Amino acid sequence: MDGILQSLGVIFSLSGVAVLVTGALLGIVIGALPGLGPSIGLSLLIPFTYNLGPELSMLLMISLYTSAEYGGSISAILLSTPGTAAAAATAIDGYSMARQGKANEAISISLTASTVGGVLGGLALLLLAMPLASLALKFGPAGYFAVGVFGLSSVAALSGGSLVKGLACAAFGLALATVGIDPIAGTPRFTFGLFQLYEGVPFLAALIGLFAVSEALAMVESRVVSAPSIKDKVGHVFMSAALWKETWHSMLSGSVIGTLLGILPGVGGNIACWVARDYARARDRHPEEFGNGSANGIAAPEAANNATVGGALVPLLALGVPGSPTTAIMVGALIMHGLHPGPQLFNEAPSLVYAILFGTIIASLVQYAAGSLFLPLMARVMRLPDAVIAVGIMAFAVLGAFAIRNLMFDVYLMLGFGVVGYLMKKLRFPVAPVILAMVLGYLVESNYRTALVSSQGDYTIFVTDPISLIFLILSLVSLLTPLWRRIQAHRASARTEETADGTVR
Amino acid sequence: MSITRRTFGTRMAGAAVGLALALSGFAVPANSIAAEFPEKPVTLVVWAGAGGALDTYGRKLAELLEKEAGWTVKVDNRPGGSGAVGVSQIMTQPADGYNILVLTGTLTFGIAQGLIPFELEDFRLLRAMQSEPSSLAVLSDSQFKSVDDFTKYMKDNPNGLKVGGHAPGGFHQYMLYQLMKKGGFESGWIPHDASGKVTLGLLGKHLDAAMMTPSTGLAQVKSGEIKLLGVSTDERSAFLPDVPTFKEQGYDIEGAIWRGVAVKAGTPDDAVGAIQAAVDKVTASEDWKKFQTEQFQDSPDWKEEEFTKRAQSDLANQLEFLKANGYVE
Repeated sequence: MDGILQSLGVIFSLSGVAVLVTGALLGIVIGALPGLGPSIGLSLLIPFTYNLGPELSMLLMISLYTSAEYGGSISAILLSTPGTAAAAATAIDGYSMARQGKANEAISISLTASTVGGVLGGLALLLLAMPLASLALKFGPAGYFAVGVFGLSSVAALSGGSLVKGLACAAFGLALATVGIDPIAGTPRFTFGLFQLYEGVPFLAALIGLFAVSEALAMVESRVVSAPSIKDKVGHVFMSAALWKETWHSMLSGSVIGTLLGILPGVGGNIACWVARDYARARDRHPEEFGNGSANGIAAPEAANNATVGGALVPLLALGVPGSPTTAIMVGALIMHGLHPGPQLFNEAPSLVYAILFGTIIASLVQYAAGSLFLPLMARVMRLPDAVIAVGIMAFAVLGAFAIRNLMFDVYLMLGFGVVGYLMKKLRFPVAPVILAMVLGYLVESNYRTALVSSQGDYTIFVTDPISLIFLILSLVSLLTPLWRRIQAHRASARTEETADGTVR
Repeated sequence: MSITRRTFGTRMAGAAVGLALALSGFAVPANSIAAEFPEKPVTLVVWAGAGGALDTYGRKLAELLEKEAGWTVKVDNRPGGSGAVGVSQIMTQPADGYNILVLTGTLTFGIAQGLIPFELEDFRLLRAMQSEPSSLAVLSDSQFKSVDDFTKYMKDNPNGLKVGGHAPGGFHQYMLYQLMKKGGFESGWIPHDASGKVTLGLLGKHLDAAMMTPSTGLAQVKSGEIKLLGVSTDERSAFLPDVPTFKEQGYDIEGAIWRGVAVKAGTPDDAVGAIQAAVDKVTASEDWKKFQTEQFQDSPDWKEEEFTKRAQSDLANQLEFLKANGYVE
């Protein structure tokens, strides 16, 4: 009880509010800049946290972490350039909506959904940390493999018109994911002697190239110099009641998916955003709107990637093991203060634990306020002519690709992906399945092989492991549902044709 | 505070991203002593990304080189290529001591596996400043109470347990291999791509035993949930006085993964001497000792000669281990 009061005292002190606001403002900017994500943001903060107490340090870091998850959607929506990998799914509908002149609406959906996701993820952390942690422990390699397969099953939904093209793109992504050091044998594969490829094709370079540079090239080609017409009033963040009604269920499902995938180390927001989008699409009454500026196509992934923050903190607090690269940096900062994360912290430093628990929720609310401050700036971006936007995208893309590892190699690779993405656009191949497969390829492959190593080659491990079995069944359901619907729709249309042909029904 | 601000500024410049955060200034310390070396800012090239254990060490070293030796230091993270990116970074610079590589004991594995396209002779290994052992870990409700229990079971049931740890063909598997040779048993290896996942694997009973750095599962080691049967230090670690060593249980195994600094071969002796003197000031400081204790790090403090000798023998032994396990031809 004392711990709770003390922690609230810290959060609502002048310095507490100051670090929360600073973290939120920095986080939004860092999230919006491609190539810089929450983990780089936090590592830049570490020197500042020497002089803050552990509670304030954690508040600052959580605030930046949360806001960066939202910030990534800003550039995704305005420039088709996901600022963070977890915002990749948002780029599809967000950018589409922005090109329809509804950028303000898209941003307000993203900000609201991010806030809802962050608060719900934080509540799950506050109330369910221990049960969620024991759930995370049930996942062995077979379970992780099945989760990856489940994620891949959403390719069908991302394929747009042609399932064959979607599958081809996913196969391309999976092939790219095999580049790098073999996760089991430890030897380089398909690296062509380039040590820059040992860790695999840098994911952000592919992401920025395929999404952003291809768009800039398309813009230059279309030679449109006028700004897109702006239909909605710019500058408000509040979503209309109608929008709330339309999107609340996606926010909720996105938050649950984000929290659950966030607790699994190595899964997290990069995957949760796609799974959440797919789930929302499957449940939507207008799934055909997805890809053409659907509000739910923004709400679901944005709620999910923010909810992963609370989820990722679960193993950190309950087990002392970081659930994401970003939380690993938070461990480093805690150690600097002589504290080691884990369940013993509840006794050793209760006020710190409660500061983290409540801070996660409150940081999301602060992010909402801070996010609204950036709207006038975004309104300006929206009014820029395409020519300027195209140049802006290129500048951001080059900067972002270089910032990954300070290597020009990544910049050239990113430009190469830009050309590939442009050609794919021309030939109407969807880029999203490539990204999804790249994210999941490593997870699926490494865990598939680890599972087989640990079962000594016995394939039944994938069905005897209950978690694996559940997710493999879910994958089947998720693959077959769209097919089933298509058959149903086909039958229904056949029936209406019949009635049209006949006289009376 | 001024130190923190300055390092922050230089770091941002290194990442080429400072534009959004114009919080910092490049205040060169007015009281810096005009010594022979360094006459200009020194770059610490960290061969891992920001935020990990190596980066934490590199940044503390940078901070203390500024504070204790009066240097101006820039930290440059060059992750990638199992260290090859960072190595290439210093190898393409002049051998003048202004680019110091911050690296780990995976150097010898990387060279042995052909991942790092250089030889030990291309470096001057200046100082090993941190080291962490490996340990054999099981859950506390395990039937194994000692290393003997474990090896006896494995002898009776070859490959009968799920044993794993961080990385394929790396330090921890190498230590298991040593144990296999001394104990005369066969075991498989389940590699994990992050050390935290090893702890989770053990807690979730997806692993029966793990070879891991004691600090990896620190919360559980302290609470007693994870039991360490043996540790690969020469004598009992000050951080874990209750954990017996492999040696005292009759297994002559010793090994640690080190973190340290190196420069390009051909760097003149006077520059190296100045670097060594500055590192001496750092290791003598209270701040450094406090940092080492907080991070659960041993301080090997091997100087160039011993460091090089150890790296050479590591390389030979690891090459044999990698060949025996099919990681290299």
